[in-house]
Amino acid sequence: MSTPVKKLVTAIGTSIAVMGAGHAAAEIKIGIAGPMTGPVAQYGDMQFAGARMAIEQINAEGGVMGEKLVAVEYDDVCDPKQAVSVANSMVNEGVRFVVGHLCSSSTQPASDIYEDEGILMITPASTSPAITERGYELVFRTIGLDSMQGPVAANYLISQEPDRVAVVHDKQQYGEGIATAVRDTLEEGGVEVAMFEGITAGAKDFSSLVTKLRQADVDYVYYGGYHPELGLILRQAQQADLDATFMGPEGVGNKDINTIAGDAAEGLLVTLPPSFDEKAENQALVQAFEEKGEDPSGPFVLTSYTAVQLIADGIEAAESTDPFDVAEALREGTFQTPIGTVEYDSKGDMESFEFVVYEWHSDGSKTPVN
Amino acid sequence: MQDLLYFIQQLINGLTIGSTYALIAIGYTMVYGIIGMINFAHGEIYMIGAYTSLIAITGLAALGIAWLPLVLIVALICAMIVSSSMGWAVERVAYRPVRGKHRLIPLISAIGMSIFLQNYVHLAQGSRNIGFPDLIEGGFRFGAADSFQTSISYIQITIFITTLVCMTILSLFISRSRIGRACRAVSQDLGMANLLGIDTNRIISATFVIGAALAAVAGLLLGMYYGSIDPLFGFIAGLKAFTAAVLGGIGSIPGAMLGGLILGVAESMTSGYLSGEYKDVVSFGLLILILLFKPTGLLGKPEVEKI
Repeated sequence: MSTPVKKLVTAIGTSIAVMGAGHAAAEIKIGIAGPMTGPVAQYGDMQFAGARMAIEQINAEGGVMGEKLVAVEYDDVCDPKQAVSVANSMVNEGVRFVVGHLCSSSTQPASDIYEDEGILMITPASTSPAITERGYELVFRTIGLDSMQGPVAANYLISQEPDRVAVVHDKQQYGEGIATAVRDTLEEGGVEVAMFEGITAGAKDFSSLVTKLRQADVDYVYYGGYHPELGLILRQAQQADLDATFMGPEGVGNKDINTIAGDAAEGLLVTLPPSFDEKAENQALVQAFEEKGEDPSGPFVLTSYTAVQLIADGIEAAESTDPFDVAEALREGTFQTPIGTVEYDSKGDMESFEFVVYEWHSDGSKTPVN
Repeated sequence: MQDLLYFIQQLINGLTIGSTYALIAIGYTMVYGIIGMINFAHGEIYMIGAYTSLIAITGLAALGIAWLPLVLIVALICAMIVSSSMGWAVERVAYRPVRGKHRLIPLISAIGMSIFLQNYVHLAQGSRNIGFPDLIEGGFRFGAADSFQTSISYIQITIFITTLVCMTILSLFISRSRIGRACRAVSQDLGMANLLGIDTNRIISATFVIGAALAAVAGLLLGMYYGSIDPLFGFIAGLKAFTAAVLGGIGSIPGAMLGGLILGVAESMTSGYLSGEYKDVVSFGLLILILLFKPTGLLGKPEVEKI
């Protein structure tokens, strides 16, 4: 190619590029913030895999309002301080939509910054009710609340018509919150709550508690908290021949409970979000994950996918990329997503989110209970 | 009758925990008795004892050795050796260089050592709870079959007997042996003992080694009794044992035994009759009360200022 022609082509190219840049920034940045490293990085992997897949698929279908989505990823290590600096980086990058954060303790401080800076945030994993209780306009989630899980567990217990139930918790925000919801629902349902008691998180000796449970002669024990304590309670209860069925929230439903409790974990009841990857309508999506060598079965993969999809749907419904318009569209609309039909209330919580009762087994597997 | 059985059950629970508190408390009280410092890394020595015995048990199981008494004895010996060397090393590295300085300096050094050991195990073994295999199962039951039964498990009996044996050996060792006599001399007057030709450095090392060995025994017993261990569980146990030592009179070995038992029973009665939420309130409340009204503890001797 001769030099003048080359110059001309370059000039045309440059002018097109300039025009493109001038035309509404040409792409929509989607921030993804969650733990890539640290103790809960395995949950972060689920989040990133789900969100990346959604971005890829939406772009393959032509993007949103003709514009491509671009992922901007940051690692918050599930640390509140790190989450704040990640949120500030998002602001500096000009991100206006964020999928994150994962841990409630990170989501809470980060959401203050997003709300101030006019960034819309959808958390795919944080279940603390406090996050949406501050009247923020731009905060949403694609997961249920701790306060929804308690009644599901309590209603299951009521349906079993027990004589007496004990409710135990670890005195922390999460555990005591769920335990209180369970107790209240049980009492409304006419079930006698023989005991409502706290233990100390991190304690190891539960022999007195188990003795008390034996004396109270309960059929069921509901535990609000996490697996390290419940694992030990199960084990010490088995040693003392306590004849009662235990139940807990999703905080106890992971394989670590089996390494602590061993055989004693058999028959434990756990409330968990349903396995979205087993739904018939999601099989094409599940296959897409498997083709990429990723596992879609984690609890936060499809909630993260849904968070990206909702941002895209919200932008199209609002016909605007202004986060406030999108937030309004999300509150007004009804959306079909891999986690079911999504409708938002004024706080940014889903109108309904299903929890399912599973029976846990000593090999770490689980089966749904009807 | 029911109420009595329930009371006895809570008493057994309390005595079990209390006797292991006593085993750990010995380490605090002996060190305090001799050099007048609180070894805050002692809880971590106990935690390391539990980890070592678990590693030994897992190792033996991998070799196909399952004969219980052998497994327990090998685990116990491994734990005692590793914990004792740790106890010795901690004293050599962190306390001896600052001995005789202002009393805050060894204290801070001890806290630093405690944090270091916790995080070391964190890195080496991971931060998750690790389950202990059920080695001793079953037990005796009393009472009518259709109502509340008092049960005493074999592991609880093992804990009582082991503690009793350890305490007897320790008492005999302190009162009869040469090193024991030297220990008592050093605790009465370190400088004078030195002048009389006692190798005080050796005696102080021996104190740390003995305390650590007893903590290792407690580590194995409690690991089996509770069922899981993690790198932070030495900290709370250490605080409780320290409370037991102060309660009984810090520096006094019978005091540590008594303090441990009282604390254990007080805790289990609180959870049994009040609520588990008040367990730690009561144990640390007891510590404050005893410091206010009888600072020397139940069996401690009033400290005479040496001129």
